[in-house]
Amino acid sequence: MLIPHPLLGLRDSQEFTYLGDASLMQRPDASAENAEAQFCDYVFLRDNPAGVHRELWFHEQGDRSWLVVTRDTTTHEILGAELALDVKGAAK
Amino acid sequence: MLDHVTDLTPITALGATAARAESFGALTVTENAGLGLASLALRKGQSAPQPFGLPLPGVGTAVSMGDYAAFWTGRDQWMVEATGKAEVNFAAMLKSEAPECSLTEQTDGFTAFEIASSQGAAPIEALMRKLVNIDPKAFGPGQATRTGLEHMTVFLIRRADDRLAVIGMRTLAGSLWHALAVAARRLED
Amino acid sequence: MTRLTGGLIDRNAPLNFTFNGKTYKGFQGDTLASALLANGVQLMGRSFKYHRPRGVFAAGSEEPNAMVELRTGARQEPNTRATVTELFDGLIARTQNHVGPLERDFMAVNDLLSPFFAAGFYYKTFMWPKVFWEKLYEPMIRKAAGLGSLSMLPDPDDYDKGFLHCDLLVVGGGAAGLAAALTAGRAGAEVVVADEDFALGGRLTMESDLLNEAAATDWIASVKAELESLPNVRIMTRTTVFGVYDHGIYGAVERVSDHLAVPGDKVRQTLWRITAKRAVLAAGATERHMPFADNDRPGVMLAGAMRAYANRWAASPVKRDSDAIAIFTNGDDGHRTAMDLIAKGAKVLGVIDAREAAPRFGDYEVFAGSIVTGTKGRLGLTAIEITRNGQSQWHSVGALGVAGGWNPNVHLASHHRGRPVWDDNLLAFVPGPNGPAGLIPAGAAAGKGGTEEALTDGMTAAITTLSEIGITASEIVLPKAENMPSEQVAFWHVPGTKRATKKRAWVDFQNDVTVKDIALAHKENMTPVEHLKRWTTLGMATDQGKTSNISALAVMAELTGKSIPETGTTIFRPPYTGVSLGVLGGGDTGPLFRPRRLTPTHAWAEAQGAEFVEVGPWMRAQYFPRAGETTWRETVDREVLAVRSGVGLCDVTTLGKVDVQGADAGEFLNRMYSNMMGTLKVGMVRYGLMLREDGHAYDDGTCARMSEDHYVVTTTTANAGLVYRQMEFAHQCLWPELDVQLISTTDAWAQIAVAGPKSRELLSRIVDEFDLSNEAFPFMACSELTICNGLRARLFRISFSGELAYEIAVPARYGDALMQRLMEQGADLGATPYGTEALSVLRIEKGHAAGAELNGQTTAQMLGLGKMVSAKKDSIGAVMSRREGMAAEKRRLVGFKSVEPQKQAMAGSHLFTDGTVQDMSTDQGWLTSSCYSPHLNGYIALGFLENGDTRMGEIIVAANPVEGQTVKLEVVSAHFVDPEGGRLRA
Repeated sequence: MLIPHPLLGLRDSQEFTYLGDASLMQRPDASAENAEAQFCDYVFLRDNPAGVHRELWFHEQGDRSWLVVTRDTTTHEILGAELALDVKGAAK
Repeated sequence: MLDHVTDLTPITALGATAARAESFGALTVTENAGLGLASLALRKGQSAPQPFGLPLPGVGTAVSMGDYAAFWTGRDQWMVEATGKAEVNFAAMLKSEAPECSLTEQTDGFTAFEIASSQGAAPIEALMRKLVNIDPKAFGPGQATRTGLEHMTVFLIRRADDRLAVIGMRTLAGSLWHALAVAARRLED
Repeated sequence: MTRLTGGLIDRNAPLNFTFNGKTYKGFQGDTLASALLANGVQLMGRSFKYHRPRGVFAAGSEEPNAMVELRTGARQEPNTRATVTELFDGLIARTQNHVGPLERDFMAVNDLLSPFFAAGFYYKTFMWPKVFWEKLYEPMIRKAAGLGSLSMLPDPDDYDKGFLHCDLLVVGGGAAGLAAALTAGRAGAEVVVADEDFALGGRLTMESDLLNEAAATDWIASVKAELESLPNVRIMTRTTVFGVYDHGIYGAVERVSDHLAVPGDKVRQTLWRITAKRAVLAAGATERHMPFADNDRPGVMLAGAMRAYANRWAASPVKRDSDAIAIFTNGDDGHRTAMDLIAKGAKVLGVIDAREAAPRFGDYEVFAGSIVTGTKGRLGLTAIEITRNGQSQWHSVGALGVAGGWNPNVHLASHHRGRPVWDDNLLAFVPGPNGPAGLIPAGAAAGKGGTEEALTDGMTAAITTLSEIGITASEIVLPKAENMPSEQVAFWHVPGTKRATKKRAWVDFQNDVTVKDIALAHKENMTPVEHLKRWTTLGMATDQGKTSNISALAVMAELTGKSIPETGTTIFRPPYTGVSLGVLGGGDTGPLFRPRRLTPTHAWAEAQGAEFVEVGPWMRAQYFPRAGETTWRETVDREVLAVRSGVGLCDVTTLGKVDVQGADAGEFLNRMYSNMMGTLKVGMVRYGLMLREDGHAYDDGTCARMSEDHYVVTTTTANAGLVYRQMEFAHQCLWPELDVQLISTTDAWAQIAVAGPKSRELLSRIVDEFDLSNEAFPFMACSELTICNGLRARLFRISFSGELAYEIAVPARYGDALMQRLMEQGADLGATPYGTEALSVLRIEKGHAAGAELNGQTTAQMLGLGKMVSAKKDSIGAVMSRREGMAAEKRRLVGFKSVEPQKQAMAGSHLFTDGTVQDMSTDQGWLTSSCYSPHLNGYIALGFLENGDTRMGEIIVAANPVEGQTVKLEVVSAHFVDPEGGRLRA
């Protein structure tokens, strides 16, 4: 597969490692009342859609950026890729 | 400006007292043991400095001025190179040029192999086609990237049409040399 | 000899080769098959199941029959198709799959037993008694049915790999492919054109068609010359594009030196990963046959192949020039073969055309409305039975060409589950609209097989597909060509072989599947094409049914009364043709199998005679044997005692090191580690425990605060890369608001552990003006300093062994010299290098956790580190570590001493109360690490024991049922050495 890196353009997926569902970026608040229940969902429950999926890829043999890649799991068509830093809306 | 005159004798990444060089047809591979390296990362909200007058390059590119050069390694991150500065605490030197940035001495973290062609771009590009999944036609002079090479991670810098630098992890120097030598030798026929 | 005139062979370059021990002569440009035919050899092998005599059937990579063992010794290669084996001088080939001489295969008895080998025979014939299957039937069948044999020697050849990038990949270098490549090449596109043949031209080299009223080879040569002159075009002959992968990635194998006797300095084959923006599938078409009774005799072959042998290789299909040749066809194409053979001076009996209104294109006899209903000839065809309206007559012939129509080579177009679609006019499947993105078919592969239409289609395909990526290509002047007549009727097989017991009509030659087998599959309700395939093994041989799949579908369609597309569609998986495992490895053998990381003192350790051990990619010194030491234990015991009594030196560079900088570095590390790191004083080191988000222990290491905004973090050797990745994840995906910069410095520093009561004394001899006193540089201190007259270094007072100990780091290129200096300076102190074995013994004696204890199933509480998980802050894993189930876990890390000190309990043993039944319900925990302690003169271990922290002094049992071993152990503190920690603070 080729991953459309937002900075570097198309790069072979062999340069990346895959993590999975991008919901991992929404880490719960540890001080919340039901933090444990939230963390159980966060750690153990993932959607596994046949279709469009937002997922995390790490450009390990590249610029070491984490990407949020939107991929159709049934066709491998990639609909977009963003830097996780940008998705998170880091205030620079 | 040597910052020390230790009585210990260093060895190269390939374990010898002198840098290795070997020719394979049109290609010569030389261990650049004298190259000083330091990484530079911007702190939050900083704008890029110009260490030694170098305008730090944009995504996927490299610049050089005299004995100094830099290549992009990630967003707000660069590797700064200094020819012949391996014996200097180069990060400390760089610190005076970019005092606000996060700097890390990397001279000993890597080994640089400089590949030169005596017959123009073609042998360099042929070598790239055997080693890295990077399109050589889209990787002209001034381009720099990081990619995989025989299960290792390397920086590639196209220093000129006929020159390519491969910078890999120091502890893998032997394996990297082997990979380059095997590929270069096979291009000789 | 049945060599004809002309052809593309070089008669000035004769080549000798041997086939089954007999020497023959061929020419440069021959394949093994063409050279054998030209020598009058028709019999080239035995069939898979029935050991029927077989001859060559095709002229390309689709060949089902003529498979040989090529070469000898380690290079012996079975199942090599004679049709694609380029002849070279000294080639040695043998037939395979027979017992005794090829002409008298003793296994031919299987043919008489054929009723037992019908479709699905192994599902139903050899069922009872049950034990016979494994012991008798299966080994027997395997021995009898195997094709070629392996040399059983290591592969002596080198393989290579490479990467190509292009705008347009052209798969196939025939009429359509060359037109596409030239169109794209002239437009300046980066083009790769690959063809499995050693010559460009495809079918053009095998037909008598003229281009620009001259031989087609003239045009091919001019195109080749122009393409070679274009720097943006790469021509790859002997290269098979075998698979299509996601996003325009194609796999291809280039056979670099298979056409040579030995590769010499070259690699044998190269695996290419081609990234192409667009691709044109110009892979041509494969002819099909029409099954009839006894259609598998040597001498029966595809009519197009017969024509190819005559035109390109000047080889006649018959044993003797005087033997006549017949053609059996359902369309105009068979007539072309007759015409070409006549033009070459071969003797042609005539064309048997199933059509009543059969045309005649030349001076030969036409048997209109006729079919072939039988053949004779034990080792080669001698006669055929021609039947018209029920009236049969035998005719003597030496060869029969069968022309059943052409199937477009849709293979690559179906690799992404692209479904071919049925074309009623062509009577064939053509690539459908939902094939791999960016791949478009052209020419015969798209059902446009006439020369003129193939040329035009190739050009058009290139223009169309390049325009999609912004490259404007212009029409080129194509050579004048015509489309030969290609009328045909839907005639799929000769009726009358579905039930009759004596008459068998082969559909799949390589796997010996007949029309009757398909009828049986139908009778047994195995009608879907997927079931048909598995029940009969049709299309499952090395040729993947290239010449048989569609014929089989047609037979099944007739049986079910449905149309062919209703019956099923055959799609294909990679690879297009067989790919050697050697080339799939891409040459990653020996030193290229896995890169090796060497520590800075590697050469020095080697010179000391160290034994090395692989730790991930690292080579680490395991122990340093001395003269007179006879066992590794003796060496390791000495090294351990040297550390406990004097001073030892160990290269610990392999520990991961991450530079963490930034205003929020402390806060970041607070969140990464379960314990507090932000409060660490500058100049101090703290042990850190990292959890996974699920609350289990993940990794341990140290954080050294070099300045307010700069920490140096170490990780375990094994997790170095993973922890760094996890830190990047936390930084980029969880807390990008923190000002923190991360970079690995593992390789930059050579780090040497200097451990033992005399370590301070040794270090004092190399530092430059640095106060090492306990007051100035206490336990867990760290500092930058210089040593050996000015070398910058970092010193950490940390201990893995429990002794007074330090780790000193210098720029990696000085690691070797530093180790030597420490050895020299410490000679009178007993300085001793130690390896990973002693390191492990030392840490077990001290009760320090390592990989076996941090195995992903254990918690901070189990490790006795529960208090390290700070309740004052959030950190990765903190919330989940407090889950009820985790808190209820009562197993604790404790030490064990063997009751009989010289008896070892193996790590992995499970722990039980003495005297209980040993099963899951009574399991009390397990041993993680065990070793001989020279300090205690006996075997000790670490492990997790239920309520272990309250059971000191109890005798328990460690059971290792795998080896039938039980060992009695006393539960003790995990700190076998200096439990108060006085030594490391001394």
